[in-house]
Amino acid sequence: MIKTRITAWALAAATALTPLTAQAGEIEWLQWFAAEDTSGFYDQLVADFEAKHPDITVKLVTQPFGKVRESIVTDNAIGVGSDVLGLNMPWTKEFLDIGILEPLDDYLARDDNSFATGDLVEAPLGKIEGHTWMVPLNAFPFVMHVNMGLVREAGFDAPPATWEEFAEQAKAISALQDGTSGIGMPFSSQPPSNGPILTFLPLLYANGGRIMDGTTPNFDNPKVVETLQYLKDMQDAGGIAPGAASRTGGVDLEEFIAGRTGFLISPGVHSSSITGRNTEMDYTLARVPSNGEHAYRVHGWELGISADSDNKDDAWTFVNYLLSPEVNARAAKAANALPGNLKALDAVREGADETLIKQMDILEGDTPVEEMRQSPKAVGSWSVMTEEIQAMLRGDKTPQEAATAVQARWMDLAG
Amino acid sequence: MTTQGTPYMFLLPGLVILGALLSVPLYKVVEYSLYDNVIVERNPTWVGLDNYTTLLTNPGYWSAGLNTLIFTVGSVLGHMVVGIGLALLVNTDISPRARTFFRSMLILPWIFTAVVVALNWQLLLNPFGLVNYVLQWLGLTSEPLDWLGNPDLAMWSLLLISTWRGYPFIMVSFLSGLQTVPKELYEAAEIDGAGFWHKFWHVTLPQLKPVIFGVALLDLIWTFQLFPLVWLSTGGGPGRATEVLSTLTFRLAFVDFQFSQAATVAVSILIISAAFTLLYLRNEARRL
Repeated sequence: MIKTRITAWALAAATALTPLTAQAGEIEWLQWFAAEDTSGFYDQLVADFEAKHPDITVKLVTQPFGKVRESIVTDNAIGVGSDVLGLNMPWTKEFLDIGILEPLDDYLARDDNSFATGDLVEAPLGKIEGHTWMVPLNAFPFVMHVNMGLVREAGFDAPPATWEEFAEQAKAISALQDGTSGIGMPFSSQPPSNGPILTFLPLLYANGGRIMDGTTPNFDNPKVVETLQYLKDMQDAGGIAPGAASRTGGVDLEEFIAGRTGFLISPGVHSSSITGRNTEMDYTLARVPSNGEHAYRVHGWELGISADSDNKDDAWTFVNYLLSPEVNARAAKAANALPGNLKALDAVREGADETLIKQMDILEGDTPVEEMRQSPKAVGSWSVMTEEIQAMLRGDKTPQEAATAVQARWMDLAG
Repeated sequence: MTTQGTPYMFLLPGLVILGALLSVPLYKVVEYSLYDNVIVERNPTWVGLDNYTTLLTNPGYWSAGLNTLIFTVGSVLGHMVVGIGLALLVNTDISPRARTFFRSMLILPWIFTAVVVALNWQLLLNPFGLVNYVLQWLGLTSEPLDWLGNPDLAMWSLLLISTWRGYPFIMVSFLSGLQTVPKELYEAAEIDGAGFWHKFWHVTLPQLKPVIFGVALLDLIWTFQLFPLVWLSTGGGPGRATEVLSTLTFRLAFVDFQFSQAATVAVSILIISAAFTLLYLRNEARRL
């Protein structure tokens, strides 16, 4: 009788604890990608994978983008982290400090991969601390969205290609009527407080500047100061919509869609929202105006493997599947993005949205840049930039003083 | 088991769960504040009270503390003045249908979530929003003001939003208190020749003093640790112009991953809130 009871208790305890331990062949994929898709594409993607790999099941865990970074950190701390992680490049350094990510070098060197490492978008692959930590599912280049109706009304017949033309057109559009502005700058402190990486960095890269020297902050350099000065001058000339310090990225996009700003610097993927929601806008997209350099900021949806995963091989099998040219092309098309595997470019081009094809055409040959992955703290870094640029636009600091302050505060963050 | 003990046995599961839900997080937060860092640190080091020393020498903490004081006192005053004023208005002798309509409408800000309130006020206070339009139309300003983006205006704007969101609680509490004031006192005051203000100062306020004190203390406790409305309206900015202790806690934890520093700020909020709570409990005990 006692033996039976002990056995029953043991079985009950084992059953209760089962969900806490990973099952062989069962992996979890935490990401925000499916939250931005309404077609059920990612459920289908997982189903297709499971059909091809009957020994592996994938649990799709979807959260909004703003929640994923916190979840990865806290899940990892209590030992329930997902196996495959949807990642954002700027999170890299702080995740490495915590020890969340598994180095992918050995996996990338495997002979049986469905892709060649050389075909992948380069930015996420760059080594930090001697290793590669993530691979690109897709890529979103930054472009300038243009309301050609306002550009023409202001007396121009083509989008600006240079900084000089950009400043001139922005000022002319602001002068058109009350409530219309050349461009908005989303430098609000409200979360995620990332305005500078949306607008300032694309302009800096088009000016040939950089903010990092490897993994060392290098913000107080002449190119940064020159770009900050350009923004200040444009604001003083009236080209920037009033209220930059309380303007969020979301509001900035909405204002452009509503036809109240002539230009919007943001990821090219926003073109589908713009053309879908304001069908009457005379819309085009162009390269971010250059001051001598043809470089563009790129960010993307990356994939990594948790260092604590019990099923790393299965996790890699899934990542490998997502990076194969055929699957990667489907994933890129679903997100209206460029593929992480450049071998999928032709497949993406076939039947792709017209604006996506235009992005490929205008950016061909330009240099993609992503530096935030090397910055010491993702959100902390861009909050600091936001606060100092706010102070500069208010006139409390000169561009040089703002750049110096960012550099000093970043060095503190880097420890 | 005795009959006397039976009710306590029924209460026990609930008390155990409630006790655990209250005491475990409380214990963990205090414990976290005594390590160098936790959650992101696999092997935390015990540092005793070092985090408290660091905190007390950090100008950012004092600045957030001062902002919290301004925000809390300003909000509670705003809630009280607007809440009491509106309670008096909707308590006047008008048609019952109109009274019900106004009472229902005026309570609306209380039922909106912080997200809805913050978004609505962002639109209203936008440089191209309704508030600026009206001010310019009235000739009070010559150009649009960035209410939430100007460090000199942001705290005032936040107080306006907080007052709008929080006055209904005071209004409802005061309104229910008004129903308990004996009509004879007003009649006696009127016979003595008292007008509206005399009746308000010498009859209404003294009669409702315990209610006002209790409600104000409760409001003080809630507003002191208010997080979502501030975070969603200004994010603590521009710069750190509206950073309060609750947003500083969140920033340290989930922006900078300094969980132990965040726990230290949280403990300081806990101590001050506990002092207010003791004051509130003493006031309630005295009333009973």
